[in-house]
Amino acid sequence: MRAADRMLALIVLLLLSFVVCAQTPQATPPPPAPPRSVVFPKPVEQTLPNGLRVIVIERHESPLVSAQVVIKNGGEVDPPELAGLADMTASLLTKGTQTRDATQIAEQIEMLGGSLESGARWDSSFATVGVMSDKVSPAMEILADVVRRPTFKSEEVDRLRQQYLDNLTLALGDPGSIARFVASRVVFGDSEYGHPLSGTNESLTRIMPADIAKLHSRFYRPDNTILVIGGDISAKDAIALGTRYFGDWPKPSTPLPQLSAAMKEAAPSMGRIVIIDKPDAGQAAVYLARTGITRRDPDYFRGIVTNSVLSGYSGRLNQEIRIKRGLSYGAGSTLDTRRDVGPFVASAQTKNESGAQVADLLLGEISRLSSSPPAEPELVPRKAVLIGNFSRNLETANGLVGQVASLALHGLSLDEINRYIANVEAINSQDVQKFAGTRLDAKTSNIIIVGNAKAFLPELQKQHPNVEVIPITELDLNTRLLRKKQPQ
Amino acid sequence: MVCFTRLILVVFLLTTFSFSGFAQTRMPQLKFTDRSLENGLRVLSVADHSSPTVAVQVWYHVGSKDDPPNRSGFAHLFEHIMFKSTRNMKSEMMDRLTEDVGGFNNAFTVDDVTVYYEVVPSNYLETLIWAEADRLSGLNVDEANFKSEREVVKEEYRQSVLAPPYGKFEYLLQQKSFVAHPYKRPTIGSIEDLDAASLHDVQEFHSTYYRPDNATLVVVGDFDPKQLDAWVDKYFGGIAKPNLQLPRVTIKEPPRESESRFTEYGSNDLPAVGLTYLTPRESDPDSKALEVADAILSSGESSRLYHSLVYTQQLAAEVDVNSETREDVSLFVLFAILSEGKKTEDVEKSLLAEIKKLQDAPVSAAELEKAKNQIVTEQLQKLETSNGKALALGEAAVLLGDPARVNTDLERLQAVTAADVQRVMKKYLSDKNRMVLYYLPESAKKGGQ
Repeated sequence: MRAADRMLALIVLLLLSFVVCAQTPQATPPPPAPPRSVVFPKPVEQTLPNGLRVIVIERHESPLVSAQVVIKNGGEVDPPELAGLADMTASLLTKGTQTRDATQIAEQIEMLGGSLESGARWDSSFATVGVMSDKVSPAMEILADVVRRPTFKSEEVDRLRQQYLDNLTLALGDPGSIARFVASRVVFGDSEYGHPLSGTNESLTRIMPADIAKLHSRFYRPDNTILVIGGDISAKDAIALGTRYFGDWPKPSTPLPQLSAAMKEAAPSMGRIVIIDKPDAGQAAVYLARTGITRRDPDYFRGIVTNSVLSGYSGRLNQEIRIKRGLSYGAGSTLDTRRDVGPFVASAQTKNESGAQVADLLLGEISRLSSSPPAEPELVPRKAVLIGNFSRNLETANGLVGQVASLALHGLSLDEINRYIANVEAINSQDVQKFAGTRLDAKTSNIIIVGNAKAFLPELQKQHPNVEVIPITELDLNTRLLRKKQPQ
Repeated sequence: MVCFTRLILVVFLLTTFSFSGFAQTRMPQLKFTDRSLENGLRVLSVADHSSPTVAVQVWYHVGSKDDPPNRSGFAHLFEHIMFKSTRNMKSEMMDRLTEDVGGFNNAFTVDDVTVYYEVVPSNYLETLIWAEADRLSGLNVDEANFKSEREVVKEEYRQSVLAPPYGKFEYLLQQKSFVAHPYKRPTIGSIEDLDAASLHDVQEFHSTYYRPDNATLVVVGDFDPKQLDAWVDKYFGGIAKPNLQLPRVTIKEPPRESESRFTEYGSNDLPAVGLTYLTPRESDPDSKALEVADAILSSGESSRLYHSLVYTQQLAAEVDVNSETREDVSLFVLFAILSEGKKTEDVEKSLLAEIKKLQDAPVSAAELEKAKNQIVTEQLQKLETSNGKALALGEAAVLLGDPARVNTDLERLQAVTAADVQRVMKKYLSDKNRMVLYYLPESAKKGGQ
């Protein structure tokens, strides 16, 4: 169709649509009615004589129950040469106990229609079941068995090791996954949070069944454990089930390992710019990464509101990178708070050619938080986003259990659930500016780009002379240097 | 392939929904109201006051199978454009009305439908009914907004197809599974066809498919039914039903006469094998038995494929099955990503051996019950939220043709017998109905030459 015809057709169509539209009664949105109040369920708890803390949170809308065992240590206790040990240990829980083999465990839990998952995170390990509420007792029996009496048979260790190696191979084909691995090493160096949680090719091959059994006996003990049960079950029944299946778990006479003294002081990198050159990458993953805060930091609520100004669909990062410029399918950030200082990460994936531009946009938006903090009209909606997400998260059994488990893990008051909204609402523009200026300085942030370097490196080097370029074939995730040693 | 307009926060597949009356479990029934306006808009609603929020969805019966000629990916691109300027809303105003007040919005496009959804505090319901009516009544997008959003969709293509090591595999699996039906065009489309799309195409697509008699409004949550009816009449009632006929895809996919095989190459390090079989449309009575077969083969670590290929033989790092239902013709898809050092031929052989076992002997009563329990639990989890309930209701109405199936599919699931599973496996998973795709690393290509 010629241009003039197309124009004409467009005008006709616009007129037609106007005729249709004209019948819509009003041109401005009707205002909201008065809001309804929200009431969250209240957690109930009891500590058993062996030190195990049982927490119950009721929600009876759906006939579902979720139960989670939380061990208060995870990937941060991996010895440096055995990265992935805590995660392998937790994953192996469901691969055999003194009375059930891996097949029987899967068969029995799935017969109930349920699912049983386990793994490690930073600062915790978990095993969790979700089932219909009339099947909770047999499911809890299996849950207790796998946490208390796993056997770590060597054939299961070998099988899982191969699965981890295969998964790592898959992850190392994806620019986003590679960028996350590299960001952790850049921010945390060789300290506790620096290694990949699920290990490296080298560390995984070193992990022996004896290492796993040792980690299990050291950390999996009732006085280092929280059991959270949520959903369609009464507090009384839930505590009775906890007592029945975990009450006779003996508390060791040895004291709990003291970790804080052993924890190394992180020596965070500042202003490092690392490019992983992957010439066949279909897109570049661009990450800004730096240290953030601990979960118990008094600035926690300032931190999450600041992050919400940057992140989410209408957050500043997505506004600038996706909505205004069409440079990515999505840009966002996370403030990952942990027992020790966790990372702050802002990221986007973009075509290789725009890698440098997106890196500068990420840096620019972090700086702009302090030079141009959000005024009320910008801040109020970003707080509403946090409050809405939080409230919706409590609508499912899994979400409830996750929220409560996280508070309990960090030794925070469980009442925080009912104070969350007020805590978020109290944050003002100066709080955000101060937090951004003191805790998220762009100058001390690092940039990581994984992609086809040829497409973005010349432009990047114009602004940033000190760029490290590491070909993907030379990438080594075992140390902060990130580069394989050259053969002597 | 499911394509979302917004950030992908939750990835889920649309599957046939089912309920169960299993023994002791109290199964919630959705007490829905079903009415239609004179202009053809269908309105389904469920009042549920358990939390002060409400889910609003509009299902348009148009999907990527309706992409115009040489415009693959257009229905999905169009879905993105629906968040730009409309008759009375500026670009991104939908975000002001949802995200800014603590709610959220998103949309997705699949082969047969395009669905827009929002969850908001319930006091904003009237605002959202107004907003959805506004974007149904007309778009008002300018060239700059259109072009910028098209760049976003191209990034989505790169992020879902080019960047992940198996993105292209999924894409090819769908493309190679159909020869005639437009289902052969994956929802995300191609860069060339996206580049060819114009603002003119946008207006034409809106006036062709975005009309009240091609839409179903679903509202679930905290509202007063009388008030809802009044708001729907006020804002949607005035939108005229066009006199033009709605175009529908009439092309039929021919039955497969013999096995087809393809080998393709990508940036993956571990090879993958995919098998697909043509199966009947979603509303066919055999869909339930195929769903049960899917669960027996692939749901959980005690499933047959996981146990055999991943656990016992250690041939595969990952294995999955999807009974991917569609409105016109469906696919039963099996795929495996190989474990290091294994052969594609051995993996294919093992997949076929597991299929043959299901064809040769009926499953045990216990295995059948396990599969049904798994399906029911998963369904209950999907129905925990108002948005999940609305999705189930919309799917029953638009894709199954009867909203009541959101409640009655329970009986269909219960009625599936071991003999049914064996019968559908024999009937549909035949040798001549098979497409085989090997997806190998580029390095294998060089090695082979």
